[in-house]
Amino acid sequence: MTKIDIYSGFLGAGKTTLIKKMIQEAYCGEKLVLIENEFGEIGIDGGFLQDAGINITEMNSGCICCSLVGDFGKALTQVIQEYAPDRIVIEPSGVGKLSDVIAAVEKVTSHNVILGNTVAVVDAGKVKVYMKNFGEFYNNQVETASTIILSRTDSIPQAKLDAAVVLLREHNADATLVTTPWGELTGTQLLEALESRHDMEEELKHLAHEHHHHHHHDDEHCFCGHDHEHHHHHHDEEHCCCGHDHEHHHHHHDEEHCCCGHDHEHHHHHDDDHCCCGNDHEHHHHHHADEVFTSWGVETTRKFTEAQIKEALHALDSGKYGMILRAKGIVACADGGWIHFDYVPEEHDVRFGSAGIIGKLCVIGSQLNEAAVPELFGV
Amino acid sequence: MQQIPVYVFTGFLDSGKTKFIQETLEDPRFNAGERTLLLVFEEGEEEYDFSAYPHPNVYLEVLDQQTVSPKELQALAKKYKAQRVVAELNGMQQVGDLYTRFPEGWAVAQEVMFADSTTFMAYNANMRSLMMDKLLGAQMVVFNRLEPGADTMPFHKIARAANRRIDILYDYTDDTTAFDDVVDPLPFDINAPVIEINDEDYALWYRDVTEEPQKYAGKTVRFKGQVAMLRREKNGMFAPGRFVMTCCADDIQFLGVPCVYSNSKSLEPRSWVMVEATIAAQKHPLYQGELGPVLTAIRVEPATPAEQDVVTF
Repeated sequence: MTKIDIYSGFLGAGKTTLIKKMIQEAYCGEKLVLIENEFGEIGIDGGFLQDAGINITEMNSGCICCSLVGDFGKALTQVIQEYAPDRIVIEPSGVGKLSDVIAAVEKVTSHNVILGNTVAVVDAGKVKVYMKNFGEFYNNQVETASTIILSRTDSIPQAKLDAAVVLLREHNADATLVTTPWGELTGTQLLEALESRHDMEEELKHLAHEHHHHHHHDDEHCFCGHDHEHHHHHHDEEHCCCGHDHEHHHHHHDEEHCCCGHDHEHHHHHDDDHCCCGNDHEHHHHHHADEVFTSWGVETTRKFTEAQIKEALHALDSGKYGMILRAKGIVACADGGWIHFDYVPEEHDVRFGSAGIIGKLCVIGSQLNEAAVPELFGV
Repeated sequence: MQQIPVYVFTGFLDSGKTKFIQETLEDPRFNAGERTLLLVFEEGEEEYDFSAYPHPNVYLEVLDQQTVSPKELQALAKKYKAQRVVAELNGMQQVGDLYTRFPEGWAVAQEVMFADSTTFMAYNANMRSLMMDKLLGAQMVVFNRLEPGADTMPFHKIARAANRRIDILYDYTDDTTAFDDVVDPLPFDINAPVIEINDEDYALWYRDVTEEPQKYAGKTVRFKGQVAMLRREKNGMFAPGRFVMTCCADDIQFLGVPCVYSNSKSLEPRSWVMVEATIAAQKHPLYQGELGPVLTAIRVEPATPAEQDVVTF
């Protein structure tokens, strides 16, 4: 099985540095071929690659007027036949469209050659001016990528970073976003972020759901036809925060017997594809008034102190923010490191742990005060 | 119609265009109150500060370089009664593309390119055609953000390879500047009784002789080339030349010089010949009204092909 990962990004964004980190820390042990279609500022030196047992294929067409054409597919096929690698890493030209590269790769995919991660590496400080002045190819990279990895997030003011995240989200609501400085993340953590779509809100909802509907499962038959195990499977493949697959629910809408605690209204929103990942605030406001619980989730690059988090969790107990069932978060700490917390009423667990790829906050409760909660966390 | 001079500033994002234009418009020697239309086709980090200008007659318009029309430009010039135009171009677009959409009466007075020396090499390696586009048309290029004492030869070589007549200015981080006074000797002797052009130097000679034909008037040249026929002049003329690549495989073109030769019909197109001919500076349809080199053959002999099919600058 060959997996093909693509690392796009404009010149100077840090593609080569990132790829080098991934080769050293995440792809080690794999039989890997690197295809470069760009003349990097920091060349990946041959010695390092040889030591790592990596084959490097340079495609000598880094100039904009002779971008990816037929040759690329041919070269790719040849590489697969010759080396049968576990992974092919492509560093395309910084001024090319990611969708073109993907299209070229898809022509050679088969049952044992699959397209893996499509990454856009973006310089956090340049997002605004590049979007405004570069136009198509830059936006194409950002819009097409399954993961957007920001570089140099620690060397720009917080407000500029926040603005960059908002712009990127406007262009791509679904991609996994990585804003944590690379030095704080291991290649393994990054690869995990690229390959799994871990959704905190999802997980929390599931927990809350379980908690709330416990009795149903014990002494009643559930009409909704799926159990929580089942939801888990969907989490892996879909990024919908309701944890049910849409098809499935359509049937229920028609038959109307559903005990899962969601109403149909709610699901309609999914139909017009307000999907998930905890960053679509709009979406969360649409929950029906009589719904059992609502959730609020955000991504944030804000840094918190331990005291701020403890205070905020304490405030959640006050009732002022609704009946909070659960809250969970991983955020960067102002004093360095990352704070992880779990909240159930009157029980707060705040601890330090490994870095996240971006800060995340999630609160679930009934009659959740969705205006006050963000204020409480200052996001 | 009133002629409007256009001062054009090119180069990539973050190369210092805005800062330079801002400073120029602050300078009373350049800004003596002329009504100036400032066209901005790229919006970077730097912003214009109108309060610092000695005269208020500067009018800013932000436009899209890909879609702007002659009509639109004409209307803006009229609206502000512009006496001149200062334009900051988008580095990712072709300069010539915009020139074709300049209204009648607009004439480029000066084209200056800016380049950040810290990114220039990487940009040039990966976006050569865009870089060449800027270098080819500019009268001057400014390489800025250089560390004092930095080696400037790599920049010199790239700039002069693209444009032999370009002025080069180095702008250092300690606020000093220096003009590039490196002379590039031509790889052939133009004062020799017969100017011998080596196979690999054809492109250089071609550019020099087409840029300054009068310098070569009355001289004799000897070079190897391939035979091309001229479409309109079937009798007594052909055009020996070479396939030349400026940037990459996509821009390979045949560059030939018209040559009077009574026996031209006997020549096989694309065959290799050694040509010895005298040079005159004349008008020819190929040069669209300008003077250009026209050869008169002394000798045309079959030759073995040059080692390289395609020649570069």
